[in-house]
Amino acid sequence: MRRAALIGLGFGAGAVHLAAVGVLLAMHQRWIIVDALTLGQAALLLLAGGAGAMAQRQVFGAVAGAITAVPLAALLAVMSLVPLNSVFIALSHDLLDMLTLGLGPAAGVAILIGGGAIAGLGGALLRNSSPLVRRAVFPGTISIAVAGVFQELIQLMLQQYEGPVGDFRDFVYTWEGLSLQGAITIFVLAALFSEVLGFVWRMRAERNVGGDHRRERMIRAGIALAILIVLPAVAGSYVGQVLMLVGLYILMGMGLNLEVGLAGLLDLGFVAFFAVGAYSTALLTAGSAHALADLPFWMAMPISVLLAVVVGVLFGLPVLGVRGDYLAVATMGLGEIVRVIVQSDFAAPLLGGAQGILEIPKPRIGNFVLGSPVSLFYLTLVASAVAAFVAWRLENSRLGRAWEALRDDEDVAQALGINLIRAKLLAYGLGAAFAGLAGSIFATMLTSVYPSSFQLLISINVLALIIVGGMGSLPGVVLGSIVLIGLPELLREFGEYRYLFYGAVLIVMMRLRPEGLWPSDVRQRELHAADETLALDAGADAVPAQPR
Amino acid sequence: MGALLKWSAGVALLCASQAAMAATVGPVTDDLGVIRIAKGAPIQIGAYWVLSGADTALGLDEKRGVEIAFKDVGGKLLGHPLKLNAEDDGCNAEGGQTAATKLAANPQTVIVLGPACSSAATPGAPILWQQGIVDICTACTAPALTASTRKKEYDGFARTVFSDAEQGKADATYIHNVLKAPSVVTIHDGSPYAQQLQQVMADNFKQMGGKVLSQEAIAPTDVDMKPLLTRIASEKPDLIYFPVFTAAAAQIVRQARGTPGLEKTKLMGGGSLLSADFIEAAGPGVVGFIIGYPDLSPEAMGQNYPKFVDEYKKAYNEAPISGYHANAYDGAMLAIKAIEKVAKTDKDGALYIGKKALRDAVFAIKFDGISGPIACDQYGECSQFKPSVLEFTSSDPKTFGVGKNPKKIWP
Amino acid sequence: MVGRYIARLNAVDVVLWGLRVGVVAVVVIGTAGTLIKGRYNAAQWFDFVMFGLTIGSIYAQIALGYTMVYGVLRLINFAHGDIVMTGAFAGYFVAMPLDRSGFLEDQPVVAMAAVLLVAVIVSTSVAVLTERIAYRPFRRVVGLAPLICAIGVSFFLEQTFRGMFGSAVKSYPDPPWQRAAFHVLGFNVPRIDVLVIGLALLFMGLLYLVVQRTRMGTAMRAVAEDGEAAALMGIDVNKVVVFTFVLGGAMAGIAGVFYAFVYKQVYFLMGFTPGIKAFGAAVLGGIGNIPGAMLGGFFLGMVESVGPTLFLDGIGIPAPYQLRDLIAFTLLIMVLIFRPHGLLGEALARKRA
Repeated sequence: MRRAALIGLGFGAGAVHLAAVGVLLAMHQRWIIVDALTLGQAALLLLAGGAGAMAQRQVFGAVAGAITAVPLAALLAVMSLVPLNSVFIALSHDLLDMLTLGLGPAAGVAILIGGGAIAGLGGALLRNSSPLVRRAVFPGTISIAVAGVFQELIQLMLQQYEGPVGDFRDFVYTWEGLSLQGAITIFVLAALFSEVLGFVWRMRAERNVGGDHRRERMIRAGIALAILIVLPAVAGSYVGQVLMLVGLYILMGMGLNLEVGLAGLLDLGFVAFFAVGAYSTALLTAGSAHALADLPFWMAMPISVLLAVVVGVLFGLPVLGVRGDYLAVATMGLGEIVRVIVQSDFAAPLLGGAQGILEIPKPRIGNFVLGSPVSLFYLTLVASAVAAFVAWRLENSRLGRAWEALRDDEDVAQALGINLIRAKLLAYGLGAAFAGLAGSIFATMLTSVYPSSFQLLISINVLALIIVGGMGSLPGVVLGSIVLIGLPELLREFGEYRYLFYGAVLIVMMRLRPEGLWPSDVRQRELHAADETLALDAGADAVPAQPR
Repeated sequence: MGALLKWSAGVALLCASQAAMAATVGPVTDDLGVIRIAKGAPIQIGAYWVLSGADTALGLDEKRGVEIAFKDVGGKLLGHPLKLNAEDDGCNAEGGQTAATKLAANPQTVIVLGPACSSAATPGAPILWQQGIVDICTACTAPALTASTRKKEYDGFARTVFSDAEQGKADATYIHNVLKAPSVVTIHDGSPYAQQLQQVMADNFKQMGGKVLSQEAIAPTDVDMKPLLTRIASEKPDLIYFPVFTAAAAQIVRQARGTPGLEKTKLMGGGSLLSADFIEAAGPGVVGFIIGYPDLSPEAMGQNYPKFVDEYKKAYNEAPISGYHANAYDGAMLAIKAIEKVAKTDKDGALYIGKKALRDAVFAIKFDGISGPIACDQYGECSQFKPSVLEFTSSDPKTFGVGKNPKKIWP
Repeated sequence: MVGRYIARLNAVDVVLWGLRVGVVAVVVIGTAGTLIKGRYNAAQWFDFVMFGLTIGSIYAQIALGYTMVYGVLRLINFAHGDIVMTGAFAGYFVAMPLDRSGFLEDQPVVAMAAVLLVAVIVSTSVAVLTERIAYRPFRRVVGLAPLICAIGVSFFLEQTFRGMFGSAVKSYPDPPWQRAAFHVLGFNVPRIDVLVIGLALLFMGLLYLVVQRTRMGTAMRAVAEDGEAAALMGIDVNKVVVFTFVLGGAMAGIAGVFYAFVYKQVYFLMGFTPGIKAFGAAVLGGIGNIPGAMLGGFFLGMVESVGPTLFLDGIGIPAPYQLRDLIAFTLLIMVLIFRPHGLLGEALARKRA
């Protein structure tokens, strides 16, 4: 009972936070099902339902759900008495209307608590129901949510098609979003689909006892990759643009992966190499007065990569002796130095200063200009494929093993005869090459480079995405990039709240899966080895071991 | 795998080449293509502004200006509802490109308003024009965008806001001829807008015979201006010109008061400081602070400007939060008038708009907007710039009102 | 002997020597150039130094929080800068009413104490909360997961405060007694600067005493040195960690209020840049080392304030204040190259995984 109450309070605090920050109201502006359910209302229901599910037993579920609503109801009561929005700007009249459904505070409190109880009960029921029901309900509701929230994107993608697809689209969607009939249709379709899929999988599992896991994973990865490759051609230029940004970050992630994941060199100045690649390409190809030469893109790109490697080595030289977190600060400093230089008036005669360098032409193959996002996406894809191949080969080479020895313990590695200087410099240089390539494509994609594009935030983003994806693993980089770069781009309409979600995602991900979404096998063994030894020791409350 | 890639490349080629093409749809023939809006479907007007980050007020203010314009025409045009698809471009180039790509990918986008930042317009406008979509900018002031040397890919770009080439010249004229200050120091914050504006001002000032003692720079997030101001004090300028944004400008105004040597130096800023927030942030030193800005007095502006401000206050519970709402309103009205002029309805109630015809209409229409008369020249400069200088009279943010505090002191 | 040293040099050493010489050359030539030009009189140099000390004392306080948490948890608490921000915001909501009612004017001491108290309460609560929710599961630090979590907390805090209070910049009150200046030896010393520096030194001294003399402080130092041994000695590591966050959070709150009173501006991103710089300062002094953090903070502040004018003006670089961060980071890197454990730091006992 107490547990249910605590769970409820925790979720309730979350609801109050969402309300106070203004996310709830912003989500309320978004229909999932037009004229029936908004994203904000769905979020509240989800919170209460989640509390109920965690409480397990039905009765407790209802209680947990009701208690989830209590803090919010209290806030409601206070808001109706005292105007709080002079201090907390999000607690406005609109929020009050949303919470009370326009019916006044007393009714609002009742609705919240009653609704919370019902949702909590529902959550608990769902939790305790049979797999059959769960397999139907979860995919169904998730499909409705996706179809409703991303309706603009989906409608954009389906705009191009007339005929049966167009009719289906018109049936399911209105101009505002998902219609009620559309929601029901999608729910039913998704539920059926998931039941069938579940059935098929169970049949296959019964037949292939002890199947080949790796092959399964490879096949699934292959299918996902194929979808990714074909998607922009099918879905239009906006998706192509987003995927291209994802692709650039994948390139950078692979580079940083070499430095951080393999060689253990915590580099927070990675954006500097990106900037070098971009500015080199700009200076070598631009049509404006700043250009040093007028080379075609295909010549400028390898030169930019080479320059990035040189800069990478130059970076690495001073900080060879610096280790661990000191290295993080030193590299961060180097990154910031590059940023300040490209923006400065001092370097402006060469680098364009605050105005940047404009009029960078797009790449051409003969008479064909790679102008559209889709074609540039394929360029990025090819570059990523090449880079992935190089990274994979490096990982399994002598150099890669030297890096891993370096990461585990520098002194021992040196004692084993590994030339630390060479290994570190190669790590910086090769990592920089990937970033330089990404920068080169970035410059030609935007047709201009501005110094404001090269902030510390980019280095942090790349680091975050390789850790969330799974450090040291290439599929992890791809996944991390999609989750941390692709999703915020798609959610741009929520404005700055996407950074709130970004931060929350980082925290939750690291707590639930610190090894990343798709960790390399080595990593997973390392991380959970510690768990195993602790578990083996008598199962008593382990003393928290000192950080290694 | 290779075959798959080749097939994909082929499809990509097909999609890539789907730029604006001549077409005849319904009763309209057009060189750049025709948009058909079904009966009852909304007329989708795209927009991209800075709607997040430190400059949110800039973009939000313009969005509101457009929303009021829509409201003033009743929310409908030719029997179709007006729908605003506003995207956030974050006031940078990647954001501008992504937002423009999204708007361009929607075949129902009739015309686009915005952005707020020139760095977003530079990649954004060509992307839109490639699909034949006109981009009416509401706050981007970079001279290059409507210069006679601009490239063909900007043919679809017009703006209802002045060019910094004129603003800088006007400021230099004021400082040299009216204030008769012999020497200035300029400060910019590393943004393309501020750097270019102060450069234009400095160049013009030098041409007129004034002396530019030095051109300094800060980062927009800098708070400690005292070392810089002490350094400037040692040069003994007569005026410091800093067209930077609210946070940094407020720091300069505050800290200049306490810097020995700068007590008599005049301070001048730019148009981004037209807000109550600035008065609050700058403190008591704001009294006597001047900014160069287009003439906003009723005699210079359209007479409807005060009415617009009242409508704004009623709808959003606060006075306009930045300086370009009137330009946004006029941009929206220009778009609406152009659509009205060229759209044709067929007997089923569907609407047809020719893209080239729309572009020509935008460049041809003349009317009196609330920010002044609107008439586009061949390079897309649609606003008639009338310079003025405003001075802040009180440090109480509640007294903020364009024309009151700050009030016009020149011409 | 020198000959043998030169014979043993490899390419890397050559580069490093080149860097050393280069930086020293820039510093010396620049300084000489500036002093020769003689643009600035003594009063102005004094002003530069005062500004540097003021911002330096604030950096020092923030750096202390970083260094203490690192010592105990081996975690770079990226969100520390944002905790400074929470303190500043909390102080704002107390300072404004006090100013409007005239209380700030009449009873400065009591008013300031109230502002500081509220700010400290809020910042400490936020710090302890983040420890409980986000950092406690990472007691066994493996890999970079805790760092990413800290980055997540940083974003989360920034956006929460932006959502709750808006993105507009808020201004702290500006009572006349702060603006007035002392006149010492012919120099003008702004009263607020003296106040901030003095109080900062006071609080840092108190912190030092707490860490050196009290039981909890000793326990903290024990855990920082060797956590397992400390646990075996019967120290409750959880309590010590919470205590560390309390101390760090309190310092951050105070730093936030001071920062806000000196620079007047409070907004949701205000903590990010000072946080990064203070982190650099902590590393500069030797991370995990409390006097080192203080030293690093003051050093960084001085370099930022005096550096551009002193070094770059003399070589004739345009707009030197734009390059302020460049100077600060270059010196930081120089220190790290030639003293890889910071100015006062000892070797890291354990390497980061």
